[in-house]
Amino acid sequence: MKLYEHEALGSIFKKYKIPVPRYVFSAEMNDAVRQFVDKEPGVVIKSMVLVGKRGKAGAVKVVSDKSQVEKVFSDLATREVYGERSIGALVEEKLDIEKEFYLSVTYSTKDRAPAIIFSEHGGMDVEEIDPKLIHTYVVSDVRSVYPYQIRQFLAGIGFSDKELLRPLSEVIVNVYNAFWGSESRLLEINPLVVARSGDKRKIVAADAVVILDDDASVNPAVVYGARSAQGRPLTQREQDAILIDQGDHRGKAGSYVELDGDIAMMTFGGGGSTVTAETAIEAGLRIANLTDIGGNPPAEKMYRISRIILSKPGLKGVLVCGGTASNTRIDVTLGEGLAKALDDMNAEGKLDKNLVWVVRRSGPEYVKGLKMLHECFVRNGIRGEIYDSQLPITEAPIRLKELLIKHIAYKPEEVV
Amino acid sequence: MKGTVYLNDKTGIVVIGATGREASQVIKESETLYPGIIKAGITPGKGGSSELPVPVFDTLKEAVKDPKVGKLLNTALIYVPPVSVLDAVMECLDNGIKVLYIITEHVPIRDSEVIYQEKVRRGAIIVGGTSLGCFVPSVGRIGAIGGKDPTVAFRDGGIVVISKSGGLTVTTAEMFKRRGWGTYMALAIGGDIISNTTYADVLQEIKGDSRVKGVAMLGEPGGSYEEQVADLIMSGGFDKPVAAFISGRFQERMPEGVAFGHAGAIVERGMGKATDKIARLEAAGKKYPVKVAFYYHDLVKAIESLGVPRDFEDSTTEHVKPLYSTF
Repeated sequence: MKLYEHEALGSIFKKYKIPVPRYVFSAEMNDAVRQFVDKEPGVVIKSMVLVGKRGKAGAVKVVSDKSQVEKVFSDLATREVYGERSIGALVEEKLDIEKEFYLSVTYSTKDRAPAIIFSEHGGMDVEEIDPKLIHTYVVSDVRSVYPYQIRQFLAGIGFSDKELLRPLSEVIVNVYNAFWGSESRLLEINPLVVARSGDKRKIVAADAVVILDDDASVNPAVVYGARSAQGRPLTQREQDAILIDQGDHRGKAGSYVELDGDIAMMTFGGGGSTVTAETAIEAGLRIANLTDIGGNPPAEKMYRISRIILSKPGLKGVLVCGGTASNTRIDVTLGEGLAKALDDMNAEGKLDKNLVWVVRRSGPEYVKGLKMLHECFVRNGIRGEIYDSQLPITEAPIRLKELLIKHIAYKPEEVV
Repeated sequence: MKGTVYLNDKTGIVVIGATGREASQVIKESETLYPGIIKAGITPGKGGSSELPVPVFDTLKEAVKDPKVGKLLNTALIYVPPVSVLDAVMECLDNGIKVLYIITEHVPIRDSEVIYQEKVRRGAIIVGGTSLGCFVPSVGRIGAIGGKDPTVAFRDGGIVVISKSGGLTVTTAEMFKRRGWGTYMALAIGGDIISNTTYADVLQEIKGDSRVKGVAMLGEPGGSYEEQVADLIMSGGFDKPVAAFISGRFQERMPEGVAFGHAGAIVERGMGKATDKIARLEAAGKKYPVKVAFYYHDLVKAIESLGVPRDFEDSTTEHVKPLYSTF
């Protein structure tokens, strides 16, 4: 989960003693912001959004003329940046910048270890820095990371500013400790600046990008509130879905993302879900939502996610699709959980009988489970076909497309 | 030795977190299908319990000292909640278990990293997290892979299936079985960002095994483990036929950071995209026996075109009828 910059500064950078500019965050112009601006000779104002490349979108502005602060603040605090609405603005002291570095820590799958990535040429997008000028220090023993190791690394890459060797190595270790201690997947500072302060020089993090591990020992969604990885607020149904797995690790049914289409995807298993969605898109079906159900969830989890999936307005078809499960019980998930959701929705008058269904599933108790689901289809007047693993998994979405065209004159997307 | 280092005729399994819902079901099923392969279970506080068909101990230390089963234990199957996995791994390593499977999903990445570094220091083999286990039809299985009736998907043969996705491991073995190829070994390595056993690790282990006729690998976006296979092959480290399918091309049309599928399958910052992986493997295929399938079901054609001999007859039928239709 990605944090807003002010969250990263307030909860992580402060704790791990990473030097940052003086700052104040606010959703709207208020006395705290005015008092802050009064004390500073100049300020930098940034829109608070999760999307990157704010500078290029004009969402970071330096304001030296104080009469302009109110106007710039109210613009940046409310504007949309690449389609994402700002939740407020961060106001920071304007630094007297001498140099800009790039610094990040993330996991390298090449080394299967945390990697500290550093360049003396920061300030621009990391993709734009010449790869030869980007250097990596792999933390191959996470039990001990000391500044001397970082100084050896910096000396080895020809880092020339000897006066900064000690302070920079200490900041880098603090940044690494912040990454490790906060259970991040990525901690990025671009730029990490060398700023003049009187006749002294100091190292300051002029930006803060933190992506926390969603599986961290403390769930970040509980600490910071759930948010969409798509840079938009979660829909009500997405929020409801997250709650399904909270406090109950028996199976997983709460991974749910909405898109703009009209085909509901009730898919099982990470790999099976991806392959099925991929083929559906290639076949020209417009996907309304994506799920990734697995690990043998109990019937009540299946009941809840089924109702969420089917409550999205504008659906035309439903694909229930998974491979041959090893562990997930088909009688429990489809025969009980899904079937009860359909029974209840029908009783409440919320079931759309025009939907076209294709079910393709196998695994433990599948004969019983598919029979139970068929009986449910019959008693609720649901139209569909039910297959086991005789039908190759990637042919299920293609079969759904054929049925949609035949029965409701569905017009698939033209796929190039 | 019959089998591989991951699962062979000497394998003796101890299940950690044995009395949990999933683990106890797996133990009971395993006892019916392959009696005796699981030797013991561990659940603190349940030592001496007779609720399982295998002896239950409070600690692994007691189990390895047990005169009856202690000497037979060499492989651990870990079924504890995510935050307890690191503890379980350390308990196994400190008690001399050298082959571990982590079945648990959602292990914190930081714990996975500590586990990986310990594994390297101690020279152990760890598969997972998020593994579904291993299947070697000529020997038996570890974990739930293949469910109650594994004969649906598995028959002895020459194909090695390696997949991040547990479900697709079985689905793929079944697809090949219907078309005439049996499985030598199917290993679900899990899709975690820090993977203790990668595709390349497996290929290096089995490269000298004459029973391996071909490899079917299922990849996903995220990380660089698929690319490492291309690098291994191009450096001459593996020369048997490899058919690969990389899922997730469609994610490239979605906004960056959309999590879908496994934890590792998050496309971030333009790295580890499905198309990157496909391009690297296709480049290897210009000089070596490597073929990338465009559609998942094309894996069968890929294995066929690489000249991997069938183990038995093709049993496919022309048109598949639904079990039920309500139209």
